[in-house]
Amino acid sequence: MKKNQTKAWLFLAPTIIFVTFFSIYPIIRAFIMSFQSGSLINLSWTGFSNYQYIFKDPEFWLAIRNTLLYALISVPVALAISILLAWLIFSKVKNKAFFETTFFMPYVTSTIAIGIVFRYIFNGEYGMLNFVLRALHLPAPNWIDDPAMSVTTIIIFGVWTSLAFNIVILMGALRNIDPNYYTIADMYGASGTEKFWRITMPQLVPTLAFLLTMNIIAAFKVYTSVYALFNGQAGVGNSATTAVFYIYNKFQMVGTPGVAMAATVVLFIIIMFVTFLQRKMMKKIGGR
Amino acid sequence: MKKIRWGVLVAYIILIFFAIITVFPFIYMILGGLMTFRETTTIPPTLWPKSPQWSNFAKVFAQAPFARYFLNTFITASVTTLVSLFNSLLGAFAMVNLHFKGKHAIQIVFLSLLMVPGEAIIFTNYNTIAQMGLLNTYIGLVLPFLTSIFYMYYLQSYFSSISTTIYKAAMIDGASDWEYIWRILVPMSKGGLFTVGLLSFISGWNSFLWPLLVTNEDSMRLLNNGLTAFASDAGSETELQLAAATLTVLPILILYFIFRKQIIRGVVRNDLKG
Amino acid sequence: MNDEKFVEVKNLRKVYDNGHEAIKNVSFSVKRGDLVCLLGPSGCGKTTILNMLAGLLSPTSGDILFDGKSVVNIAPKDRQIGYVFQNYALYPHMTVLQNVMFPLTVGQHKKSKDEAEKIARKYMELTQITELADQKPGQLSGGQQQRVSIARALVQQPKILLMDEPLSNLDARLRLRIREEIRSLVKKVGITTLFVTHDQEEALSIGDKIILFHQGVIQQDDLGQNFYLNPNNYFVANFVGNPVIDNFKVKVADGKVTAANFSFDVSELDKNRFKRDLTDGDYVLSVRPENIVPAADGIVPAEIKDVELIGRERILKFDHEGQQVRSLVDLEQPVKSGDQVKLKMRYDRVFLFTPEGERVY
Repeated sequence: MKKNQTKAWLFLAPTIIFVTFFSIYPIIRAFIMSFQSGSLINLSWTGFSNYQYIFKDPEFWLAIRNTLLYALISVPVALAISILLAWLIFSKVKNKAFFETTFFMPYVTSTIAIGIVFRYIFNGEYGMLNFVLRALHLPAPNWIDDPAMSVTTIIIFGVWTSLAFNIVILMGALRNIDPNYYTIADMYGASGTEKFWRITMPQLVPTLAFLLTMNIIAAFKVYTSVYALFNGQAGVGNSATTAVFYIYNKFQMVGTPGVAMAATVVLFIIIMFVTFLQRKMMKKIGGR
Repeated sequence: MKKIRWGVLVAYIILIFFAIITVFPFIYMILGGLMTFRETTTIPPTLWPKSPQWSNFAKVFAQAPFARYFLNTFITASVTTLVSLFNSLLGAFAMVNLHFKGKHAIQIVFLSLLMVPGEAIIFTNYNTIAQMGLLNTYIGLVLPFLTSIFYMYYLQSYFSSISTTIYKAAMIDGASDWEYIWRILVPMSKGGLFTVGLLSFISGWNSFLWPLLVTNEDSMRLLNNGLTAFASDAGSETELQLAAATLTVLPILILYFIFRKQIIRGVVRNDLKG
Repeated sequence: MNDEKFVEVKNLRKVYDNGHEAIKNVSFSVKRGDLVCLLGPSGCGKTTILNMLAGLLSPTSGDILFDGKSVVNIAPKDRQIGYVFQNYALYPHMTVLQNVMFPLTVGQHKKSKDEAEKIARKYMELTQITELADQKPGQLSGGQQQRVSIARALVQQPKILLMDEPLSNLDARLRLRIREEIRSLVKKVGITTLFVTHDQEEALSIGDKIILFHQGVIQQDDLGQNFYLNPNNYFVANFVGNPVIDNFKVKVADGKVTAANFSFDVSELDKNRFKRDLTDGDYVLSVRPENIVPAADGIVPAEIKDVELIGRERILKFDHEGQQVRSLVDLEQPVKSGDQVKLKMRYDRVFLFTPEGERVY
């Protein structure tokens, strides 16, 4: 049994070493750096001044505002569409695998590459989207080059990209519902809508809670899709800047790692808070 | 009977509508990559290239070292996949089959780390790699990703589903832990390991922010970074950008269509544990 | 040579991490070549003992000796044991032949592939699975899987074979056949075998001797028939026997044994069967159903509530102070539900237990 102990640590050694250096250490390091100023090679203590700086920085607030807006709109919209599509695939059609495969495609493909494609689809002059909108006599805004539209544009792209994961996870949850529930409901003459609201939805609650938090966390970290849509920029005149953009900018471009790390700590706390809420929620649901 | 048919019809209309929205960017990307510059920017837009411009791809390879990007991406994605799979395999085995003091504590630490967003540590990791003088190297590209608590967790749940008597039987049969891992555990979990490998390779292929930080030499760039650089440089040549995007996406799409069942099943299994 | 005590367990104790004391000071020994059954209800600790014998669990205290040598600090693979698991634990990705060969192809004492296959085939012939060599466990029936797991356990020519509920995953008919096969096989090989089961009938039919456990303590370590005729205590009397033994609450006073609706003189009991002096007080009178039957000179008045047919015999069921009492009679006995009868018991076959379960008579 004692031999077992040493062996166990040997098997875990690679994981523990890498995790210590590249997960635990950087968290501590980021926290410390958020109280330091200067360039990476010449850091000195400054107390809370980095935090004071970001809370006074209008660009930081714009980044937070954009990130929040993105999270609060794209997540519920994507989730609602995903539920509709997953339910339709699950309950109405025969070629389930075909639709599942189709809707999952965006999950495996590079956001950068697809973002570039969307840049042309969203193009104000020759873009496909505006061509369709004009044909339907709808307003055709300048999605990319109008600063007022840039957050809307990333929200639309965000919904498009997050459907894939949601649908596949929801399909998995729907398959896990005991079919006998529906058989019994049929025996009592329940209608399709009744079955959906009285059986399916309550059964999906844990999955929805899970997806909601996963999506919100992902939304708080949005970066790559903005980068791709606006060709490396955060929209015209930084109009679509996000939290991670702000951090990257302060860290790499402006060269104030302390400020970047203060913003990282704030983002980290927000994400931890959401995760904490999810745990609470899951416990409550599980404890019913 | 009639009423149900209407429901199905409406369902198909909605699903096909969204399916088109999902697939359209891919089709547009592939077709646009075969158009002439004029065709990509005509008003009204066209969808079908009059004569496919296969030369676009040759131009892409001529204007930027895409072959090198492919190689770099393939190397980093393969190395991170193989090494992290190996490390996760050993770790998951120890967590499932061995008894040791501190197992519970390790479990709790790993579980908390699972919640840490990668974006919160990526910049300090950059700092570490820079201090080690590993910028613009393959080692720098892969080092922080050579282990994955996430995949270790996945494998842990996979291994737990194997009856514990199998391990006991192997012990009595005289197998060492090493023999158990390679002759029993790995062959029995081929499916799970393969799925983890696929998912890891795909996310390695699509990685963007980390390589953006640790590489600035063209010869060390990965596909996605090369692609964005190309998109800025080739600014106006829309058709070349789309051709380059096609090159980036196509290998993964092919992989996806071959192994879609394993990939989808793997993702569902991965994330339902909550 | 320790033929009488080939396997010896001394003062064995096991306390799990959660504080549960699974085994409390257990000692027993097994003769070389014997087939011994460890019997007991689920959770009694019998599998824990088997796991400690195999080295899969380490004891909290006490010693285990194989052939006179302590094995407590020896790894499972070096204990020269074979183990047959309840779920067989066959490696699903290997063929039958590869499964049986596996023990010979791993560890420090690896054999060449040809030699391993030769030995494996020998044991496959012995267990009659030669024709299944190239199949995977998933394609086999429960009985076939069982044989493969036995062949795999025997292929290293162990000195001791440990079997953990090996028949419980088989259907009833197959179980009868396989248990005979197991007995004749281990006797043919001459291997010392410990066989864990919760099924008393299985234990009685297969074991040279039975060790009955309850709550981590040995209740009786004896030949099969003695559990029936001469149980150590109340638990043993009630655990062994089908239909279950009948129990009556009685009082002993003034030279009489008195129950709710019958009584008899203490002098009716056989003086030689007393374990100790019978003092006045509360007792439980237990009698096997075949030893309490309707008779003209019976003393226990009863009304038949139900009659159950079991093959050549019938079970008559009665109420006694809210508890069921059974009587086992011949098929020919002309009785039916609702009949009023008087039951007579064989006083030389009844048992008297204290309320704590200690046997007095």
